[in-house]
Order: sequence, then C-alpha cells, then structure tokens
Amino acid sequence: MSASLESVDLIAADVRARLRDLRLTARSSSGTDGIGQHASRSRGAGLEFAQYRAYEPGDELRRIDWKLYARSDRYFVREAERDSPLTVWLVIDASASMRQADSARSDFRKLDAAKALAACVIELALRQGDRFGVIALAEPAPLLIPVGSGPRQRDRCLLELARLRPSGRWPDAGALRLLWERIRAGALVVMLSDFFDDAGADLALRLAAARREVVSVQLLGADERDFPFTGGHRFLDQESSAERRVDAAAVRTDFLERFAAARSQLARRFAANGIRHTEHMLDEPLDAPLRRLFAAGSRR
Amino acid sequence: MNFSLLAPLGLVALAALALPILIHLVRRIELRPTDFAALRWVGAGIRPRRRLRVERPWLLLLRLALLALLALLLARPLLTPPAAAARPWVVVAPGVDRAAARNAANAIDAEWHWLAPGFPLLEEAPSSSFSPSSSLLRELDADLPATSSLSVVVPDPADGLDGERPRLSRAVEWHVVAGSPRANEAASVGPPVRFVVRYAASAEASVEYLRAAVAAWNTREPRHYELDVQPASVAIPADTTWLAWLAPPAPEVSAWVERGGVALIANASASSGDALWKNAAGEVYARNESSGRGRMIELTGALIPSSLPLLLDADFPDRLLAALRGPPAAPTRAVAAAMRPLHETAGMQEASRSLAQARPLDAWLVMLIAGLFLLERIVATHARVESSE
Repeated sequence: MSASLESVDLIAADVRARLRDLRLTARSSSGTDGIGQHASRSRGAGLEFAQYRAYEPGDELRRIDWKLYARSDRYFVREAERDSPLTVWLVIDASASMRQADSARSDFRKLDAAKALAACVIELALRQGDRFGVIALAEPAPLLIPVGSGPRQRDRCLLELARLRPSGRWPDAGALRLLWERIRAGALVVMLSDFFDDAGADLALRLAAARREVVSVQLLGADERDFPFTGGHRFLDQESSAERRVDAAAVRTDFLERFAAARSQLARRFAANGIRHTEHMLDEPLDAPLRRLFAAGSRR
Repeated sequence: MNFSLLAPLGLVALAALALPILIHLVRRIELRPTDFAALRWVGAGIRPRRRLRVERPWLLLLRLALLALLALLLARPLLTPPAAAARPWVVVAPGVDRAAARNAANAIDAEWHWLAPGFPLLEEAPSSSFSPSSSLLRELDADLPATSSLSVVVPDPADGLDGERPRLSRAVEWHVVAGSPRANEAASVGPPVRFVVRYAASAEASVEYLRAAVAAWNTREPRHYELDVQPASVAIPADTTWLAWLAPPAPEVSAWVERGGVALIANASASSGDALWKNAAGEVYARNESSGRGRMIELTGALIPSSLPLLLDADFPDRLLAALRGPPAAPTRAVAAAMRPLHETAGMQEASRSLAQARPLDAWLVMLIAGLFLLERIVATHARVESSE
C-alpha cells in the first residue's frame, strides 16, 4: 500500500491478518473448477487470451489452435489466464441513519463500519484478481466508482470512501437506475446497510430476483441490541428528523421485542429469496460477518 | 417565651419556597436528546413518566431553610420574656395611710407598692413629691404581665389625674379610702402672695395705681396679698411671688424671671410675645412673654393713664390679677370613685404592652442566615465538583 493511503487505512492489522484465509465466492459458480478463480458459465473458451503452450496428451482437442497448426505444423494449445473473473459491486447505504453510533463508542459510526467492511471486501477481491466497483447511495448524488481491478483501483476506492459522509435519505427510483445500468447480471453485490428503510430491502430483493448474486450485511449498534437507556429520553431520527419523547425504561421490552421481530422478518425474506444475509454489530470484529458469509463457500 | 411577629405580612415571602423546589424538580423531567436511527420500533404512546424525584435533597432542604429564615426575618420576629409569677399587685397612691390601705385592699400574698415613680415597696417611706397618678397607672399596666391582677388604693379626692379616665388593659380593683387632711387644706388656700414693686423716681406716679389694685384684691381675699413697694435700688427679696418693675431694664430682673418668677415690666422694648391687652383699634398695650421658666407682662408704655387708658377702668385690678396668675392649670383632682379606670380589651393595648418587653431577634436571624448561606454554598459547590469529575 502506498504511503499516502496509510492515513485512510480502514482495516486494523489483526483483521487484515484474519482475512487471509477468506475467499469471495459466488454461489452460482462454486463447485466448478477453472483456470481463473471462478468458473465461467460459457465453459471451455477463455475470454482473454493469455499464452500458447505446447500440446500435451490429455488436452482437449478443441482447445488446439488449428490455424497456428496450419502455419507451424505443430500443436499449440490456446490458454486463457482467467476464464471468467468475478465482478464485485459494493453497494453502501450512506443515508443519514448510518450516522448512528453507539453510546459506548460515539466516534465509530455505522458508516465507518460499512467503509471498513467494504475495504475488507476490496482487499479480498484484489487478492483474487476480481474486478470491483463501489456505489454509495448518498444525497445529493450517489458516489460511483466504475468496475476496475488492481491496486490502483483499490486505492481509488479507499480514497473515495474516506471522503464519504452520511447525509440525506434513501434515494428514490431515479437515482437507483444507476445501479441497474451498471450492475450486470451475475455480479456479486455486497450490500452494506442498516436496512431500517424498507426501500433498501426492496432493492436487495429486486437485485436478487434479477439474477444478481446479493450478499447483505445489516449493520446494527449495540444500543439497538441492548437498549441500555434509562430515564426520560427524546429520541431523534437523523433521517426523517422525527422525534419521540419516551421514558426509556418503560419502552425497552416493547422495543426489543419489535426490533427483534423486524430483524428476523428481514432475515427470513432475504433467505427466501436466496440472499446471503448476516448482521454486523458495531462492537464485534470486522471479519466476523465476512467469515459468516464466505467461510462456508471457501470450504467447498 | 412568647413568640410574635411585628410584620406578619412578611411571611408572604414564604411563597418563594416554591422556587428551589421547582428548580430541583424541573431538572428531573428534562429529557436527554439521543440520536436513534431505529426510531420506527420505539413505542409511540408511552410518554415519559414524570416521576417527582428530587435531586440532591439535602441541598434542597438547606435552600428551603434559608428562604424560610429570610421570610421570617422580613416578618420581624420578637421574643417576649415569660410571664413572671403572677402575684397580684396592690399599688397605693401617696396620701393614703398604710394601715387604711391594707384594710381596704385586703389582698393575700400580694406585692404592695406605692403609686410613685419607680414603684417603691410600701415598707419604704412614701414620697412626698407630686406624681401624676394616671400616667403612672398606665405605665404600670403596660409593664405588668397580662396575668397578674392589679388593685389600686386611692384617697377620696384623687390627685395627679389628667383630663380623661385612665384606660387600662385589665380590670382594676379600685379602692377608695378617705384621704389625709393635708391634701385637703393644701387645696383650699395657698400661701400668701408677696407682690413686690420696684420703681424709679420718674415712675413714682404709677405706684398709686398698683396700691389701689392690691387693695381691691385684699377686699375679696383678706390679707392674702402683701405689697412691698421700694425704690429700684432695693434688692428683690427671695420670697417674692410677683414683681412689678417700673424702672429701666436691669439684668437681675431678667435673671429672676428666668428662674421662674412672674414680672410686670413697664416701658419694655422690642416685645414679641402674645398680645394681652389692646384697645378697640388693635393697638397693643401689653404682651405676655415666656422667658426661661418664668413669664413677663411687658407694657409698651409707662403705667400711667395717658399710655394705658384701661388703667382707669373699674376692672383693672381683675385684669391685672388674671394676667399675673396666668392661665388656670388643668384640674388634677377629682372624686376618686368617678375616676375608676376603664377596662379596654382592644388589641392596641395588648400589642403595646408586649412590645415594651419584647426582644427583637433580627441579629440572631441574620447570623443564622449567613451561616446557612455559607453551608449552602459549600454543599452546592462540593456536589458540583463531584459531578464534574
């Protein structure tokens, strides 16, 4: 990593160490071998020419370059370096609700966790030679980093992510058209959001229905899990600027019940639609959700 | 110890007690603003319960005490000493025989005193000086505790009274005994009056008119007025009652007047007193002027008919006598039975009596308030340091 990026290093050293045995996998391609890390649906023919090598017994006859045989009277086999590279899209929710932080650690917001998770995924994709891009849904204009690969693409992504600030609401359908234009079918879409807005869940479901491989991480705070407040509170919603004056101890059980119900309902909806889904608590290590999502795939 | 307030309206300031209570409660109800994105799942209908919990109750108590004491200070508290052992009092007016008084009052285990300044015990010698009985009675009534009863023994023509029946705050046993004869005879006839005339040679003509006037007085009250006519060079005798000075002004005359004498002075200049005699046209012939303890009747001219026409009138002796005697004194003697004091239950008497012996508590209160204020500051700042740490 270049020196200029050390200031925006989003991944702690211990997390980086634990990322080593993780691999990004797409469910549709797992279980098949290829020359690249991910098997292509158009089997046999590589898309990008890499090199010629001499024919060895056992090679498929159809992979012999017959035109070269005609010229040189020798058998050469045409090799593709990567059969079908995976395209990873990071879709980050940067609405105002992602400004939420825990009362125990008020400078670490949900968006910071999302950025760190995105950096981890980018690191994994870079290591596997996959292509990756970033779309951050923020107001007034969403942040778009088109798909690319290599360390330069990673550095660009990290720089842009470091500049990202949470603001505004979940964008409307017009802004979401950008996603449909950019994210092709078969791409791996990693969604990082709190999914407090139904529109976020809807987007994930529609992407999944349109044959995009969707992986979602729901970012939750310890405050939302434990609700440690007591006494009179005036709760403010950053996104809708709504407020509610309640006695915290009195509403605690009710809140925990309803919030758990909402979470499990979301998980059920995603599972029913083939979305790999997990929750990330702000106070747990960053690699934990990735491990839950991708560890099973890497074992296969 | 009786506790009373001079200005009970000051207790209205107790309303200020509400302030610290409000301060200590309002903080409790205040809501902490909290950012919370998962607001959708927070129950809507449950308002924060306004539990009336008091923060830092000791500080609140201190502040309440401080304010209550301040209100008390505004109300001007008084402490009246406890009522003394309520022995009945019997006061005896001077002029009453001791034995007669004991027979008349017939009180058991009473305190016997003279009705005289300082209220000396009856065993002491009675004071012979004149004492205003009504005034003394009022003083005694104000000083005595409300519970002790009061009996008064007075001689029949009671002396030392003033214009009104005494109004006292308690019912008084009023015993009338026959007075001593000394008081009676003193009232009827006074000592003979010595009228001294001193004249300069030029005023010898005036002396005849004064001789005539004194002769006229003595026809009504035989041998009561003694006339002493001498030239101005003869000294004024010590027992002179009235003086007629028919000579140029002399310092010994004005000195004698200031010691308490009454003088008739002819040819007085720069007179400023009240007009005493004047004619129909308003021209003043004589003025009446006080000087020291005495009094001067100043004639504007000489004592001769040309400058004082009324010298020839038939009533001149009476006028002169009235002028020399001065205004009659208010009657101080009355039939004792008619002067029985009135019992007045009005609060004014009560208040004035309790005030006479009451001690104000202001100084103690101010010290207590200052101490409490210090304590309050210490407690308040100490707690603040604790909370900031």
